[in-house]
Amino acid sequence: MGTHTLAVSRRPSGLARGIVRMLVLIAILGIVLYPLAWMVGTSFKSQPEIASNTGLFPQEFTPSNYPDGWNHFDVSFARFFLNSTMVALLTVIGNAASCLVAAYAFARLRFPLRGFWFAIMIGTLLLPQHVLTVPQYILFKQFGWVGGDWPYVPLLVPQFLATEAFFVFLMVQFMRGIPRELDEAAKIDGANAFGIFRYVILPLSRPALVTTAIFSFIWTWNEFFRQLVYLSDLKDYTLPVAMTLFIDSSGQSSIGPMFAMSVLSLLPVFLFFVAFQRMLVEGINTSGIKG
Amino acid sequence: MHPGTRTHRRRLLRGLAAAAIAVPLVLGAAACGDDEGGGSTSDPNAPVRLSVFYWGSEARAKLTEDALNAYKAKHPNVDFEVTWQANQGYADKLATLAAGGDVPDLFALDDNMLADFATRNVTADLTEYKGGKIDVSKFPPSLVEYGMVDGKLVGISAGENTQGLVYNKTLLTKNGLPEPTTGQTWEQHIDWAAQVATKTKVPGTQDPSADYKAFWVWIRQQGKDLYSGKELGFSADDLAKWFTLWKGARDKGATPTPDIIHEGNVTDISKQLVVTGKAATSWVWANQMPELKKNTKDELGVVAYPGDPSGQWARSSMYWSVARSSDKKDTAVDVINFLVNDQQAVNILGTDRGLPSNMDLRTAFAGTVTDANMKLSIQVENDLAAKFGKAPQVPPKGHSTFRSELVKAAENVQFGRATPEKAAADLIALVQPKLG
Amino acid sequence: MALTTAEQPSVRASRATGTPAKRRGSRRGRRSEAVAGYVFLSPWLLGLMAVTAVPMLLSLYISFTNYDILSPLSEVEWVGLDNYERMFTADPSYWRSVTVTVSFALIAVPLKLAVALGVALLLNRAWRGVGLFRGLFYLPSLIGGSVALAIVWVSMFNREGAFNGFLGLFGIEGKPWVNDPTWALETLMVLAIWQFGAPMVIFLAGLKQVPTELYEAASVDGAGRFRQFRSVTLPMLSPVIFFNLVLETINGFQGFTAAFVLSNGTGGPIDSTLMYTLNLYIKGFTDYEMGYASAMAWVFLLAIGIITAVFFSTGRFWVHYSDGDDR
Repeated sequence: MGTHTLAVSRRPSGLARGIVRMLVLIAILGIVLYPLAWMVGTSFKSQPEIASNTGLFPQEFTPSNYPDGWNHFDVSFARFFLNSTMVALLTVIGNAASCLVAAYAFARLRFPLRGFWFAIMIGTLLLPQHVLTVPQYILFKQFGWVGGDWPYVPLLVPQFLATEAFFVFLMVQFMRGIPRELDEAAKIDGANAFGIFRYVILPLSRPALVTTAIFSFIWTWNEFFRQLVYLSDLKDYTLPVAMTLFIDSSGQSSIGPMFAMSVLSLLPVFLFFVAFQRMLVEGINTSGIKG
Repeated sequence: MHPGTRTHRRRLLRGLAAAAIAVPLVLGAAACGDDEGGGSTSDPNAPVRLSVFYWGSEARAKLTEDALNAYKAKHPNVDFEVTWQANQGYADKLATLAAGGDVPDLFALDDNMLADFATRNVTADLTEYKGGKIDVSKFPPSLVEYGMVDGKLVGISAGENTQGLVYNKTLLTKNGLPEPTTGQTWEQHIDWAAQVATKTKVPGTQDPSADYKAFWVWIRQQGKDLYSGKELGFSADDLAKWFTLWKGARDKGATPTPDIIHEGNVTDISKQLVVTGKAATSWVWANQMPELKKNTKDELGVVAYPGDPSGQWARSSMYWSVARSSDKKDTAVDVINFLVNDQQAVNILGTDRGLPSNMDLRTAFAGTVTDANMKLSIQVENDLAAKFGKAPQVPPKGHSTFRSELVKAAENVQFGRATPEKAAADLIALVQPKLG
Repeated sequence: MALTTAEQPSVRASRATGTPAKRRGSRRGRRSEAVAGYVFLSPWLLGLMAVTAVPMLLSLYISFTNYDILSPLSEVEWVGLDNYERMFTADPSYWRSVTVTVSFALIAVPLKLAVALGVALLLNRAWRGVGLFRGLFYLPSLIGGSVALAIVWVSMFNREGAFNGFLGLFGIEGKPWVNDPTWALETLMVLAIWQFGAPMVIFLAGLKQVPTELYEAASVDGAGRFRQFRSVTLPMLSPVIFFNLVLETINGFQGFTAAFVLSNGTGGPIDSTLMYTLNLYIKGFTDYEMGYASAMAWVFLLAIGIITAVFFSTGRFWVHYSDGDDR
């Protein structure tokens, strides 16, 4: 890696350019992050102050929102974090594995009705989810997935069946960026479709897999409606479902603790992202592709 | 051929088969909701597992759990499977459960949902239990009537509340201004609010023209009602008059600007203008006082809405209902009876869902209350109780449409996008066909 | 772990041996490829049959009925095209939400993609700390659409909000953006653009796939920065740009969460943020008109399907695939 980087930064104007770029980045970042800073500030405000003080900084520093929020319910937030992490990680695995094989078929293999299935796949992206909630619930109930000992079945099984067409499409687009000469070369060498998948596509799909992992994790972390419908026991709740319990708009609301927990819930996804994006940087040795 | 192919294909076939049989099953599902699910013949001591679903905050969850445990202590054979949710998502989840034939045995509704659920036969008719397993004789009669849809008793009031005008006492005292009183006329209230605005620079009142509960009181004071059967109980002229009344108030500077009013139009307690300091009064439910207080450092007071207080009524803040599909109706009904008619349960639950419905128990409970704000809201509501008018009918199906259309119509007037007359006429044309 | 294909012995060997097996793309090869295609497709097919297709078809059926969620599905009445007719003839809120959604998508989607691409280009090169910067730019997208976000956004864009404070520095008098029916949709657009993290990451991943030799070659040919961007980056990135364009367009039209939380589920003030899917949700879950909501959803599918098909058919003119298969 890095040949390109070096080549560029050796240009005479590289340093000045770097500084300008940095300033631009920091300026944009300041604007982008202000609302989040406000969110952190608010997580340290007391309940009466949240309603009246709309400034960035709390007048009276109230760190107690954090322990209050953490132990607000009969079940501690540690449990909700654990549940969310488990659901998100399993979703990542399911999506990455199942969407990758499906994408390989669409991107590389010739089979009857390929165009038809592809169109259907794109079509499943287009129907607004809210009209599917009820039919899906009825169907999953018929399958016996609802209300079992492990309530996450209806949330996770679909993820292992490549039902997130977004990721299939994403991987198809990435795979189509991989030169076909590599397949041909492998074929000449006697590799069949499975060999090509194993030795050509799989190693080269890392950026797509990493992107899928990042998005699956984050979106599952924030997904609300489906988790709300299928989880019914407080100890099974995930973060987004638990988070809504702070606000009963017609009655009691604990906004300070909710902000505190919102800030905390950002941390794992942030770390997950920073860790995984590194793999985007390392990416692939591009000089290997063109060969 | 690759070894994996065959198993894949078999799994695929099985999936197809499953999908093929699913559709007819689905269509036939939930058709088995029966009316005779009483289960009264079975042994009263046989173990029963009752599913319970309600919305609320974690404070309500704790109180409810304690009360249910108290029931369990007396009936060790009964076990509860409790789910609670904040009100965001509660109705969606309940509806989805209903679609799957999974309505919990015992669940909570409010008057916004009661008719919708009752007319679609999700709720059991509890009339046969009245006087037997459920005692409502100590309830104010209007509170019982307010749980009836099409002549069926479908909800038992879990608590009573009524409209309350909450004002910022600290602000008024500081500026030497009089406090509002129960029985003031609407015009007096608006003049007072304008006076507050001039003196304190804080508008005296939130313009409630978008608020169905304020309009409801006002229209009852005009000798009409919000609904008459499955029709609107008022004319476009009446509504236009209401909008015009508040247009006048805005022109006098008695209320905030439309964008601020919009902020206050949501039901969230923490956004009510009286606690955000953007108005001196907010139009809420009287029992929300203690929660409002937690959002401000100022002292608050509460009186009835303006006009003759007989426009107000003992409203059921929410109901307990039993699923028609439940095969444990007897137990569910017995639990409801315990929650509303047992002194121990009433004392545990307090005013969280409104004042206790059972008047005898309410009095006994009131004696034990120490929280000043809770005391005040009980006292105000008890004072009003003597002046309450007859309860209106439970709003029909389509009430939620009326509520949201009223907000739009009022805001159209506030932002100057429609005259009061046009907004009122449009609303009637839009809402009338949705009722039923 | 094997980093590159070129290091796989089999591939390297095949290159050395040349062409003998080239004729294997014959009938037998094609048939085994077809079988392999369905093997690889089978998880997706199973998911389609078991999880996706049945609910979709059921919702299509529901769209011709008066299904209200609360009554059993077996008791619905077939109403033919009534729901569809009502949409086009008797529901002003329907057209209101179409207008809102189209203007949202037309403005927010291109701006969001432009910002995402711009920032991705700035963050593409490896330098110390770039990972942290990427993370920070992604942060807004991590929040999703929570109640906390709604409170934050209202506080930024109401009359006393931070944004007006910022404008005040330049002597500009602000508006009550988020509470003003004239400006609320724009506030929503800003929120959508602010959460540009997802397309940014996809652009970043795509940029990583651009072979560095192409830049080197262009550089040798004396191409400047801008020429490199136009003749190397853009074409090589086009599959990813295409993906982002298609998906963000779909997302833009489907935009629900932000409108839902910002307006407390109402689409207000005065329907100014009544996105199509929010309207559909209100019809389905608040008014219990799931039949009508389903009809709205299928009209939506049709409309977006056409837009997507147009994208795909124009794609062949500007999307460059390295696999040489321009279908």
